[in-house]
Amino acid sequence: MPVKGIRTVTAARNGVGAFILQCKRLDFHYCNFGGSSRGMLAFLTQTLPRFAKENPQIEIRVSPRHQKHPMIKGQYINGNEKSICVRNLEPEDILKKAMILKDASGDKLKRTKKPITSLNESVRGIWSPYHGDLRGV
Amino acid sequence: MKRLQLQRWSSTVLSPRARTGNCLHQQLYTAKLRYQSTASSIQSESAPYDAIDVLEDPKLMSQVRRVHKHKSALAYPSPPVEAATRSAKLAALHARLYLPSRLPLQTLARTLVDASADENADFNNESLATLGHDLLTYYTTEHLLCNYPRLPLTVIFAAMYAYAGPKTLAAMAKEWGVEHAAMPGGEVDPGYLQFQRVEPGTDVEANSDLQSARPYAAQKNWRKTVTSKIFYDDEFGDQIKGVVSTGSGSGSGVTAELASATFVRAVMGAIYLHAGRPAAKRFFEQHFLSRHLNISELFNFSQPARDLARLCNRENFEPPVAKIISETGRKSRHPVFVVGIFSGQDKLGEGAGASLLEARERAALAALKGWYLYSPLNVRVPSSMEEEGAAPWKPVYVDLGEVIV
Amino acid sequence: MFSRSVLRSLVSDLRCTASAAPLPQRACLHQTALLRASQQEASSQSSSPNPDTPLSATPRAQTSQPDAHQGIKKQPVAPSFDSPLKVTKSLMSSLPHLAGQSPHYVVAELHARPYLLTEGDHIRLPFLMPNVKTGDILRFNRASALGSRDFTLKGSQHVDERLFECRVRVTGVESEPLRIKEKTKRRQRHTKTAKSKHRYTIMRVMDVRIKTPEELLQEGAVVVEDTADATKIEAKS
Repeated sequence: MPVKGIRTVTAARNGVGAFILQCKRLDFHYCNFGGSSRGMLAFLTQTLPRFAKENPQIEIRVSPRHQKHPMIKGQYINGNEKSICVRNLEPEDILKKAMILKDASGDKLKRTKKPITSLNESVRGIWSPYHGDLRGV
Repeated sequence: MKRLQLQRWSSTVLSPRARTGNCLHQQLYTAKLRYQSTASSIQSESAPYDAIDVLEDPKLMSQVRRVHKHKSALAYPSPPVEAATRSAKLAALHARLYLPSRLPLQTLARTLVDASADENADFNNESLATLGHDLLTYYTTEHLLCNYPRLPLTVIFAAMYAYAGPKTLAAMAKEWGVEHAAMPGGEVDPGYLQFQRVEPGTDVEANSDLQSARPYAAQKNWRKTVTSKIFYDDEFGDQIKGVVSTGSGSGSGVTAELASATFVRAVMGAIYLHAGRPAAKRFFEQHFLSRHLNISELFNFSQPARDLARLCNRENFEPPVAKIISETGRKSRHPVFVVGIFSGQDKLGEGAGASLLEARERAALAALKGWYLYSPLNVRVPSSMEEEGAAPWKPVYVDLGEVIV
Repeated sequence: MFSRSVLRSLVSDLRCTASAAPLPQRACLHQTALLRASQQEASSQSSSPNPDTPLSATPRAQTSQPDAHQGIKKQPVAPSFDSPLKVTKSLMSSLPHLAGQSPHYVVAELHARPYLLTEGDHIRLPFLMPNVKTGDILRFNRASALGSRDFTLKGSQHVDERLFECRVRVTGVESEPLRIKEKTKRRQRHTKTAKSKHRYTIMRVMDVRIKTPEELLQEGAVVVEDTADATKIEAKS
């Protein structure tokens, strides 16, 4: 057999064709009794329905957690979880925190130096010292 | 040519009310006559006299209703149809994939039920997956054959596997955010992928009986030609595996990879059935073709120099000659030779290596890849003719095929 | 009666095309305002939550725009092309070589910083881009160079934006890990800690395409004689 095929898997490039939001689920936890949940309770009754309608891709769960501060937890497609404590926050600030969780990619936070990461090979090729004419000093 | 009306067709095939009149229902119906009689979602012809004697006592009826409420979820091996509209997971998945609104949640719920979870063919995704599999294979094949007409068959098989193989489909299902249910059952949220898992310790490859039309398929060590794989085997060049022991049900399961792949295929089939061909094509382009694959990495040559000589002979080129373009450190511990392969005046390819032979092999490899990876400009695939107002078809480039050594 | 129904069907057809046509074609940065208006129009016409072309992913991501954008003063500047694109003869003759040789790259400029982009690249901008939402499609219209393996088209300052298309999709916002800098002063035991945690917009390049001469002529480009300072295509030496 002159040539064989090597089996691989294509790599995902989310956003090139279809775009899938990486935040898959948001859990809102509140306490009915605690004072730090006051803003959260207002958020749940007033702002959350609109937020849920604007982001149908996200599954939203609301559940009480007694004697604890209110929390927002985001579940991501890569399996990670991010959580933000929203104690004593106003509904507008809680919405901002929810937007942070919604826009996040779910990856671990990293410091990067280069702005671009690419799967493609270099378009113009890599420079080689063995090609081209010799140049005198 | 008149088109089939997919809407009407799909409504009869995929009606959520189709639970009447199938074998499973009749079996359960005879077993649990009383509970089934007040079922709101189930319409059956033989219900009336049961319903009447229940209706005589309102107290009894309410009790029956209550019992039924809890038991209806457990009556079938997969979630009931009406649970689909209540599942947040399912609605989120529908929105996440930007599925057309014509594709109802009930069908999406059905695509998530594997045949190992629910054996009833009216409620599992087997039929949808069959359709989706054929569509996927067709679209991928035409894309590959039109864009890379000179690829050798083995590389086409590998590229098919990379685009639409079970590993890729399972990865896609994961990237769509589909979670697996631990065990299938009627009470499970329909947003989970439901399948019966394989018992730990079972050999996945061993228990599948081969169902090949190939003569003497049982002879493992006989040589199988590549061309015979087109005819006898599946689209990846593998032997077609038979249906894995359908009879027993509870005993056998499928791997998570296989179940995820079936789900992705079923989604493709469901889109085709509900939203039509253009939507299915667009879904394919956006989710499958947009993925990254470097086809030049799929080649595994054994003797590239020999293949190149045969190729030049076939195409009536001058026989290939390897020449040193530049070199450095021939006597040192790490020499580098840059060798080009020339056919007459034309340079076919070049490569660098630590020995002359290695450099020559690499040069021949580059030349062969340059030949096989030819891609014409402005390619159109045959299925683009199905669009409205498509330009007249121009035949695509068809190549002689790979070199036969 | 008949004519009225015909008229109505015509009007509805026109409306459909008007709302659906600009979406895939013209998703430029400078047209987002216009696009948003047409989006809202479209969503108000069809009361269903799903648009007509649900698989294209852009419409629904953009219908989720709240009206808060109307208060923003700084909007992207719409291009004002007062003359058709002028292409020299030499460029016209060598453009097919460049356009036919894929893959392409583009050196796009954003706030005077160059970004060398190919299709499918993942960009993490060194800043948080205002007024964009996750899922938006932007078009980079300022490039200093376009090229393939053997050819490069360099603009005298920038390449005319009608020569190429480069679209990116906003995929979200990332942040760096919290940095803590300790600020100390002499002869003082107090240490001040300064915290910073910047946020960055992440994007994905959807396509990099160089238009062929036929497309340029279709869009109304004018072929002119060669001049000294015109954009030229250079071959690799």
